[in-house]
Amino acid sequence: MFNRRNILQGMAAGVALGSTTLGSTALGSPRFGRVAGGSPKRVVFFLQNQGFDPATCVPAGMKESGSLSGAELPEPIRPLEPYKDKLHIINGLHGRHTSPSHSAFFGALGGYRGGIGVPPAGATIDHVVSGQLPETLLPHLCIGMDAIENMISRPTLATLSAADAGKPVFMHSNPKLLYQMLFGGIATGDVKRKFEARSNVFNRIEEIAQQSSTTLPPSERERYGGYVAGFREINGLREKLETVSDHLRKFAPEYGDKIVKPKFETDWHDSLLDIGIASLKAGLTNVLTIGSGRGEIFGSWKGLGIVPAGHNLGHMKQPGNPIWIKIRQYNCRMLVKIMKELESIPEGDGSMMDNTLIVYTSNNADKQHTSGANWPFMLLGDLSGTMTTGRYTSVRGNRPINALYATLLHAIGAPCDRFNMEKSIAGKYDSKLGPIEELLA
Amino acid sequence: MKNRMQTLVGVLILYPLLSASLISSDQVEFDRAAQAFLSKHCLVCHDSEAQEGGVSLEGLKTVSVENSDLWKQIWEQVSLDEMPPRDESFRPDALERFKFSQRITEGLVEALKDVGGFRLHLHPSKGNHLDHTLLFDREYLAGQLEPPSTPARIWRIQPQEHLTRLNALINLEPVFDARKPGVRTRGDRILPNPQGEVKVYFGLDRVIGWVGGSAAYAAAITGFSPVLSTEDAHGLRNYADQYSVNASEAVQIAGLAEDILKFMAYGPDAEEYQFADKVSEIDAKYKHGDLRGLAQSLFYSKEIKRPLTPVYELVQDGGFTADSKARAITYLFEALTGRPPRAEELKKYVSILERAVGDLGQEEGVILGLAPIFLDREAVFRVELVNYGKPDQFGRIMLQDDELGLAVNAAFSYLPPDKTLKQSIVQGRMKTREDAAREVARILADPEIRKPRILQFFREYFDYDRAGSICKDTPALNSAGGDNKGTNHYTTMQGMVSHTDRLVELILAEDKNVLEELLTTNRVVISPGTDVRYFSQLEKLVKKLPKVPKGTKLTDADRGYVDLPKGKNIHVRVPQVVKNGRTNRTLTELPLDQRRGILTHPSWLVSHSDAMDNHAILRGRWVRERLLGDSVPDVPITVDAMLPDEPRETLRHRMRVTQKSECYRCHRKMDPLGLPFEMFTHAGLYRTTEMGKKVNTRGEIIDSGEEGLDGPVKDALEMIDRLAASERVHQVFVRHAFRFWMGRNETINDAPVLRAAYQAYRDNGGSMNALLKSLLTSDAFLYRKVSELETRN
Repeated sequence: MFNRRNILQGMAAGVALGSTTLGSTALGSPRFGRVAGGSPKRVVFFLQNQGFDPATCVPAGMKESGSLSGAELPEPIRPLEPYKDKLHIINGLHGRHTSPSHSAFFGALGGYRGGIGVPPAGATIDHVVSGQLPETLLPHLCIGMDAIENMISRPTLATLSAADAGKPVFMHSNPKLLYQMLFGGIATGDVKRKFEARSNVFNRIEEIAQQSSTTLPPSERERYGGYVAGFREINGLREKLETVSDHLRKFAPEYGDKIVKPKFETDWHDSLLDIGIASLKAGLTNVLTIGSGRGEIFGSWKGLGIVPAGHNLGHMKQPGNPIWIKIRQYNCRMLVKIMKELESIPEGDGSMMDNTLIVYTSNNADKQHTSGANWPFMLLGDLSGTMTTGRYTSVRGNRPINALYATLLHAIGAPCDRFNMEKSIAGKYDSKLGPIEELLA
Repeated sequence: MKNRMQTLVGVLILYPLLSASLISSDQVEFDRAAQAFLSKHCLVCHDSEAQEGGVSLEGLKTVSVENSDLWKQIWEQVSLDEMPPRDESFRPDALERFKFSQRITEGLVEALKDVGGFRLHLHPSKGNHLDHTLLFDREYLAGQLEPPSTPARIWRIQPQEHLTRLNALINLEPVFDARKPGVRTRGDRILPNPQGEVKVYFGLDRVIGWVGGSAAYAAAITGFSPVLSTEDAHGLRNYADQYSVNASEAVQIAGLAEDILKFMAYGPDAEEYQFADKVSEIDAKYKHGDLRGLAQSLFYSKEIKRPLTPVYELVQDGGFTADSKARAITYLFEALTGRPPRAEELKKYVSILERAVGDLGQEEGVILGLAPIFLDREAVFRVELVNYGKPDQFGRIMLQDDELGLAVNAAFSYLPPDKTLKQSIVQGRMKTREDAAREVARILADPEIRKPRILQFFREYFDYDRAGSICKDTPALNSAGGDNKGTNHYTTMQGMVSHTDRLVELILAEDKNVLEELLTTNRVVISPGTDVRYFSQLEKLVKKLPKVPKGTKLTDADRGYVDLPKGKNIHVRVPQVVKNGRTNRTLTELPLDQRRGILTHPSWLVSHSDAMDNHAILRGRWVRERLLGDSVPDVPITVDAMLPDEPRETLRHRMRVTQKSECYRCHRKMDPLGLPFEMFTHAGLYRTTEMGKKVNTRGEIIDSGEEGLDGPVKDALEMIDRLAASERVHQVFVRHAFRFWMGRNETINDAPVLRAAYQAYRDNGGSMNALLKSLLTSDAFLYRKVSELETRN
């Protein structure tokens, strides 16, 4: 039987682009090796900007932890009603130490102090998870959704994910470019012709850039090397993808009008999601990070009939607000799409979704101007039976978002007592050591 | 002793290039020196028994990965004279501290070279770690220091420089108008649009109409933002060694290059119906309201207005000839790098172009085939490599020809050299200090040559340009007296930044006592309709506005605004995207009992505030670093740097938490300098009360390093007056100018350059031009050094 994962993992061995070596971080994160054996696992992180008000996700009247089976989901997340048995709503974590007002930026997934323009202080959980799971061609794919102008003018941006201290991971926002990068080699006609012409040009650019480095002093060669390496990375990935083109062809999404002639920004949001899902299904990556609003305080959803855009959306209260109901429901429909698509692909005795976890939250905790005292999350899926589902958990004690991230590492088989939190600071911010037990099956 | 000193000096001069080898062969010596220093100055409180603050330094050895965090703390404490405490008798002098801190940085560089490296000491925020007295007090290490130079290097170009050059490819900008020197002119920085985004737009000058209002127009017009990134932080933002160009930026440049080339070749990407001589000629069906905000809703003149360049020629029928290929490549290369391509470069780019046209045909191939020029090394990095000439006895080579010409040009301009400078380069008249002096003087004297780099220095030095991006909580803005209707506050702040720019330019044009004027002038540039509110007094704002007859407007007096003199007309820049924007503003005067200088303008005050309140710590830090030349150690990661959330308490009261002993050692350097600004709200309005009581504006200048400067102040105005008259403050200003134009922190070797620059500034009546002439003809600016070790490598 054809096993695409084995093929891709084999392809990836020794690919510099795919290797993820966790160095020491400013926060002293534990070093991990890759998790060996067990069922395949994958994790999707979805962060909506401007906050996630608990009143928009905790069922009315639900004060204590308990089963969701008899509860009715609030209107903003109602599209998840059919998936309640896969859902786990978590309320009561905090991120006070992350400075989340406006956005904790890298701190939202890093569990450390973030801020606008502040470089990451360590690896973020999504990248750490990607480093634990079996290696793939793209160890970690990040996509970011924003106003269409912003996605055109800044097709890549790094605000949420990091490979290490000072090493941001960029998210892709232009589906045309991302499609050409991942699936250009298998395309036909015009896309293929352009892909090949562009390949020639980029190879020449790499050669020229490489030649230009020979006259540099060693101290400058290293800095310039980052520039040259960029081209090598682009060209190297293209070559690797070409070698698995037959396999990719089965999963490539349609390159249609939604990508080429988007009417609204949401056409590109949908297209980016399609490419992200295709990457998961094809085994190109095991970790997908989705930044809706790209970790900042802007964003636009005109395609949902929402006229206001940008920063002012964050100044609105979310509960009962028709604008935020539309945005949250749109998010939830995306979550449903991910689940349905992964359910459609057999894996082991079940489907890919059986081995998947989706982590949904905001990079701003509960609201735009927040102290981070409460940071709601939703989890979907049980990650090969390692996580509990169908529940609402009101977290007991003083537990930071780092504790949830430590829990995820337990679930994928890389247990740690604390994630990105030193003992000295944990005394103040975390009342307990280790994972959040209620979340683990 | 003499031998040891000489060894040490050798390390200092050649650092960081030789530090690795010297340290690795000298660990025993490091341990011995460290032990001697620690024993003499530290162990009394930090031995294994006393362990004050839980820190023991006893037995601490050579810097290693494991103990590097502790050594970093020691480095900051020693460099900044934080430890030993000031009331102890066993404190080292400035030179002792300097020598030891140098040893530590060398040790950190070596120990951490394989685990991410140590570069903190090179960051702009650490410039003041070199004690001011070592540079200005007297000549230290006389005769033992090598003359100044800067390492041979590549300097990634500034994001604004990149953007301005790209803009020049697609937009014709206005030429200089001597009657209105403040209006936007070719070569000026790209201003943010009313929404706060810095963007260059395609086809702006050709738009004759659109469907909808100004918001729809702003949404419909296509543009691009800066691709190259900078640290979004206060202070100097662009040192030569701070940035490279990463893979995603390279991909963005490649994509953008194609968009720009398409526009250069074919003009706006629009349907035929969108082009007309007059909007009235366009069929009404294309003016439907549903099209608002879409690219199809823009209407363009039939007349071509963009710059018609050799790229345009190249795509014409029969235009793809050997000559036109060379012209297009030469044009683009020069526009993007500042110099014409050499023969081998031209050949290389012709071959790429021909291959792409072979693959895709002329129409698309020209676009793809020319794009690599945008990614040439020199289109994103300016080179100062001195791969020519013979080094002097200190291994220094002076910049020459292209490299010298482009360095002088980049000190002022974002565009390639003007015709005169270009000729000087081509004719071999950019080789000497005198050549540099001639061009610097010429450029400074010519108002037609725009000098956005000088303005950028003042933006980065003062940090007043962040006002429009400081988000405000609506109720908090309301209570601070700000305009909370829609986005009024943010657009007003964007405007105020431009107004402060204009005031800076005005004072620069006068070129007398520049810093003192900027700190104390009562002149201000305002847009009366929006800005007067922010220069008013909070308590006098009328809360319930009177009803006025229909057709009558409320006056400023009705609103309780400050009554400012009528003033004079003055012109300012407005963003490109604002169609027919009014450029005239008012130059007027502020009441001296309430405000003086930039530090009391809302642009600066709001830039140093947060969503809810003033940011006294940030303001105090600014004064400590930019005026007093001191620094504050980084906040340890374990510190919960949050003030209590007590909305009914004053900021001063909430800041009581910083007075805990473990916090106040650093906060004493900032808080007493920031709290005098409590005489203003976080929206920048003057106030006399806070929470119903008289506002407490007291503060104190502490440990300034200048005799007679320390002491309590009753408010920000008294503090500003005292600081503006300080010699040290002016010297610190010169230090910052050095850093900005050299693109690096100063070293002790640069002391003569700094003293000469300060002298030039002072002896010429506080002249910025004199300061720049001195800096830009100094050894630090002109000489580059590649060590023998590097050459061998």
